[in-house]
Amino acid sequence: MERMIQLENLSKSFGETEVIRNISFSIEKGEVLSIIGPSGSGKSTMLRIITQLERADDGTLTVDGETLFRSVGGKAEYDRSAERRIGLKTGLVFQSFNLFPHFSVLRNVMEAQRAVLKRSREEAEEKAMALLRKMGLEDRARMYPYQLSGGQQQRVSIARALALDPQILFFDEPTSALDPELTREILHVIRGLAEEKMTMAVVTHEMHFAKAISDNAIFMDKGVIVEEGTSLFSDPTEERTRQFLSSFEGDD
Amino acid sequence: MASLIMQMLEGTVTSLRIFFLTLIFSLPLGFVVAKGKMTAIRPVRWLTDLYIQIMRGTPLILQLIFFYFAPFYLFGVSYDRFTACIVAFVVNYSAYFAEIYRSGLQSIDRGQHEAAKVLGFTRPYTFFHIILPQVIKKIMPSLGNEVITLVKDTALAQTIGVAELFRVAQTASSREFSTVPIFIAGIFYFVMNYIVSRIFSVAERKLGYYR
Repeated sequence: MERMIQLENLSKSFGETEVIRNISFSIEKGEVLSIIGPSGSGKSTMLRIITQLERADDGTLTVDGETLFRSVGGKAEYDRSAERRIGLKTGLVFQSFNLFPHFSVLRNVMEAQRAVLKRSREEAEEKAMALLRKMGLEDRARMYPYQLSGGQQQRVSIARALALDPQILFFDEPTSALDPELTREILHVIRGLAEEKMTMAVVTHEMHFAKAISDNAIFMDKGVIVEEGTSLFSDPTEERTRQFLSSFEGDD
Repeated sequence: MASLIMQMLEGTVTSLRIFFLTLIFSLPLGFVVAKGKMTAIRPVRWLTDLYIQIMRGTPLILQLIFFYFAPFYLFGVSYDRFTACIVAFVVNYSAYFAEIYRSGLQSIDRGQHEAAKVLGFTRPYTFFHIILPQVIKKIMPSLGNEVITLVKDTALAQTIGVAELFRVAQTASSREFSTVPIFIAGIFYFVMNYIVSRIFSVAERKLGYYR
């Protein structure tokens, strides 16, 4: 299998607070990784470093064979010439959707195709409409984000990310702002992408879902990976993992 | 009477010149000032803040006098009163617009910048196509307020002898021993501001297509 993400010895602090301590993991192409753990365990920060919203302090990251930063003398040294190229390979879906409110649904999905990938209007529109159709939102194309439900907005934001043909898509708690019914809507979409062998990493608190779609899983706490592998859902070896999972018991 | 109205229309033209020239320069300059106030570079931020404090903390009438006389006393050069008047208005209004822009810029959710970054938009593209349109919508009401104030503030230009509408009215008033010209000027200002506020409400309605 080919490797999509190779992360080694990542560290990150905000001021005095160490939020990520020496983390390493990898994601193979076509694989779905779920990242679970309590709030403040560094899960989001890790996604934000890979998608370049935050800078790493130390470590090495290779995305699809290209190195974004490399550990040199205890510091992460970025390859500035690769930043943009790698950025286009990674997509991110936010907890709060972050759609552009002044653009129609269609334009939200077209804008980056036109401005960043320089696709023609026809090509961008065709691609956007195909994705909206796939998300079941074809009839919402001319509407504005405020006219949609949270679940529909999140589906638009997934379409917006997919429109740039990313090699890997990251989800940062994509259902945390949604009620249970809308949550199912989004999980259904992500599951569909998993079946198409889209490479994904999902930070989530939906344990049953994570267990069902993951090829691999990591449990993080206090900035370190406590346990790795899908067996952590059914048969955790670490006490901390057991503790965390037990807080979800009775949950659906 | 007809000649009085003609004189007042001429004064109105001067008032409108001050109005439009001030807007043309201070609307964009305000953005530069707002950026200065929001920068991470401390000396720039500190100086920008001082500038805004002075502009807001002293009377515009005093600033007009300063910009008309200071160049002569400091450097021995003088320039015409109309130019001095425009400089004073631009410098003053840029500070006020800057504060309005800043409030607008700060009200935009950080997620908008982050989404734009992740999608690969360049910084200028993000500013002009993602952030600015949303800022403009948010600041429309306060901007309208400020522009209406500017229409009335043009009357202060007479302090340094610029023959704008109010000065023409006052001169006519003392020549004819009558307050009528002053009240006519009042109607002129009201009409101008009525037009300004209509323009702003149309703009607000046009921007109301999203929330």
